[in-house]
Amino acid sequence: MDAATSRPAVVIDNGTGYSKMGFAGNIEPSFIAPTVVAVNESFLNQGRTPSKANWQAQHSAGVMADLDFYIGDEAVAKSRSSSSYNLSYPIRHGQVDNWDAMERFWQQCIFEYLRCDPEDHYFLLTESPMTAPESREYTGEIMFETFNVPGLYIAVQPVLALAAGYTTSKCEMTGVVVDVGDGATSVVPVAEGYVIGSSIKSFPLTGTDVTHFIEQLIRERGEHIPSEDSFEVARKIKETYCYTCSDIVKEYNKYDQEPAKYIKQWKGIKPKTRAPYTCDIGYERFMGPEIFFNPEIYSGDTSTPLPSVVDKCIQSAPIDTRRALYKNVVLSGGSTMLKDFNRRLQRDIKKIVDERMQATTARHGEELKVQPVEVNVVSHPIQRYAVWFGGSVLASTPEFFAACHTKADYEEYGSTICRTNPVFKGMY
Amino acid sequence: MILLQSSSKFLLQTLLNRVNNLEKAVELDYQWVEFGDVRYHIQVTMKNPQYLSLSVSLPIPPPETIFYGGLPVGALEAIKAAYIGIVQILDPPRDGFNLTLKLNLSKLPAQDEQRQVLLVKIASVREVVLGAPLAVVLRSLSSKTVSPNLNQLVAIVHRPKESFFVLPQAEKVTVIFPMRFKDSIDTILATSFLQELIEARRSAGLQNAPLCSWSLSPPPELKEVPAEALSANAGFVTFVIYPRHVEGKKLEKTVWSLSTFHAYASYHVKCSEGFMHSRMRRRVDSLIQALDRAKPDSEASMGTGQSKSFKGLSLKDSRTNSSS
Repeated sequence: MDAATSRPAVVIDNGTGYSKMGFAGNIEPSFIAPTVVAVNESFLNQGRTPSKANWQAQHSAGVMADLDFYIGDEAVAKSRSSSSYNLSYPIRHGQVDNWDAMERFWQQCIFEYLRCDPEDHYFLLTESPMTAPESREYTGEIMFETFNVPGLYIAVQPVLALAAGYTTSKCEMTGVVVDVGDGATSVVPVAEGYVIGSSIKSFPLTGTDVTHFIEQLIRERGEHIPSEDSFEVARKIKETYCYTCSDIVKEYNKYDQEPAKYIKQWKGIKPKTRAPYTCDIGYERFMGPEIFFNPEIYSGDTSTPLPSVVDKCIQSAPIDTRRALYKNVVLSGGSTMLKDFNRRLQRDIKKIVDERMQATTARHGEELKVQPVEVNVVSHPIQRYAVWFGGSVLASTPEFFAACHTKADYEEYGSTICRTNPVFKGMY
Repeated sequence: MILLQSSSKFLLQTLLNRVNNLEKAVELDYQWVEFGDVRYHIQVTMKNPQYLSLSVSLPIPPPETIFYGGLPVGALEAIKAAYIGIVQILDPPRDGFNLTLKLNLSKLPAQDEQRQVLLVKIASVREVVLGAPLAVVLRSLSSKTVSPNLNQLVAIVHRPKESFFVLPQAEKVTVIFPMRFKDSIDTILATSFLQELIEARRSAGLQNAPLCSWSLSPPPELKEVPAEALSANAGFVTFVIYPRHVEGKKLEKTVWSLSTFHAYASYHVKCSEGFMHSRMRRRVDSLIQALDRAKPDSEASMGTGQSKSFKGLSLKDSRTNSSS
């Protein structure tokens, strides 16, 4: 085969909040950057008069606007320091929303960050399970037409998250993926590598909501945090101090008895006046993550906690897969990194399952013996970029190159080939 | 505008990360590939966290280039000069690589500024190694010493099995790039891009830039080169470098720009394809809008522009739709 298969494939996982990019075969992505593009639109708005003399100026203004953009952390910094850059988020709720911005984002990812020649590498991209086939076609078009990639595979994120467990234990391609990201939370059952589309459940609260809730709690208590900084501070508090408790009432008692042990201090500097300030971090340490288990404390319109959503999802899946699904609940996404999240989720799901079993036993009496259901929530240290890692593992197997759509296929059949992407058979 | 930086972003990030957390021992093993088929491998072990081994593999050289011990001419000397004191060249290099460097991170200068400069220099190891032969030629031009290989064509590898040619002459150096592209559309775009480049050079603001020219057939300087090294499908670009282009600090920049000229051109080609696509998308959108406006009112009232699925239509609407 050609030389491109001898080089590692490029794996790019574009999430709503962050994009993870790197080369297959490595443990970590090379770069994790916010999925955001800063475009300088000041060129486009000047002088729209259609005179001949202006044509040249307008043309070069258009060229300048094409070239003058930044992605990732640089984009955020640029939009802060100058008013001529506008931030645009190419992905919303897991779906590509702005293809121009997405194409620019990919261009910078490939040339500025990874610094590779797209003609030399196979590419593995990811998408959410709810993505329409048209969007896959569009992705294929951009990848093959603009970047001339030799081969492309578009993988489904939850399947990759399952594959991430490949090295840590036996490779199990059946399981429920609980993905709590920045912009979307979903519960996706996967059987033998195929997503059970009809049973996908979504949950309205995300990592951003946890941050908002913490921000709200702190503000209501009257802590002195500058308002322009409060979201960032809340995010940092969430990442450093938050944990999941087993019982809120007990936790409140613990805090009231020994405040010195549990209440932390946050030190910061006000961005405008440069004056230092401190604030106490108390109950929000465990109250933030609690919104997943008692959503009514944060929002009025959801009252189904995440464990019941997982349970409902499994109950709606085909009956012969349910036991296997309960046995392998996999976490993915940054917000599942909260301490003890997996233990709490496992305990709550187990409780629901056990109650149901007791009801069955009570109904049928002693003559029917119900086999206990094993509930297992798997957590591993790479949860934060589990999807990327799964992609890296998959793309380093020799079967990957055979499963890819190649440039020759694309030229022969057109972008429709990207609608379906075969599940690897060689994996398990 | 969209120039490629000489330091590898990932390598620099890793080095900085390592230097700032030197006391924390971590296991690190990472491989990646850059444009022009340059592969990197870095490794840090738990046992010796202050040592970092960095291996680089170069593109496969074509027969006309000269390599000494797996490295371009002058590369060893350039490495020794650039990273004095903190780098040890391991011989033989790691299996499958051309060069393995062992960096002692505890010996870096203590001052932040100096350290930063040195780290950037390490991250641009590609420039030091691959650009070494060109740097030798250009340095002798800037110091106006007579180069030992005057009027002798030097081939320098820049892509797998491809090289560009340097002809040192008295008072000037001629650099010739045979441009090759895989894709037919790329070839056409590149040809017109290169012609534009020559056009742009003639504008008043660029009087001091190196002379450049483009031709479809090999220029006369290359008449001794075997024909198989000259199979270019996007023509030949020639730059003439005078001493004023390589004075002092300009030298490094010139070496980098010349040795990555092909990557630069191909980056531009890819970008322009991308921007053409976004123009085409915008055009299609505006045409669809025009079509929508042209529809009779009864249909337009159903919101044809907005409704993306059949769910938006009621049963009655869909019936009238199918009958019309």
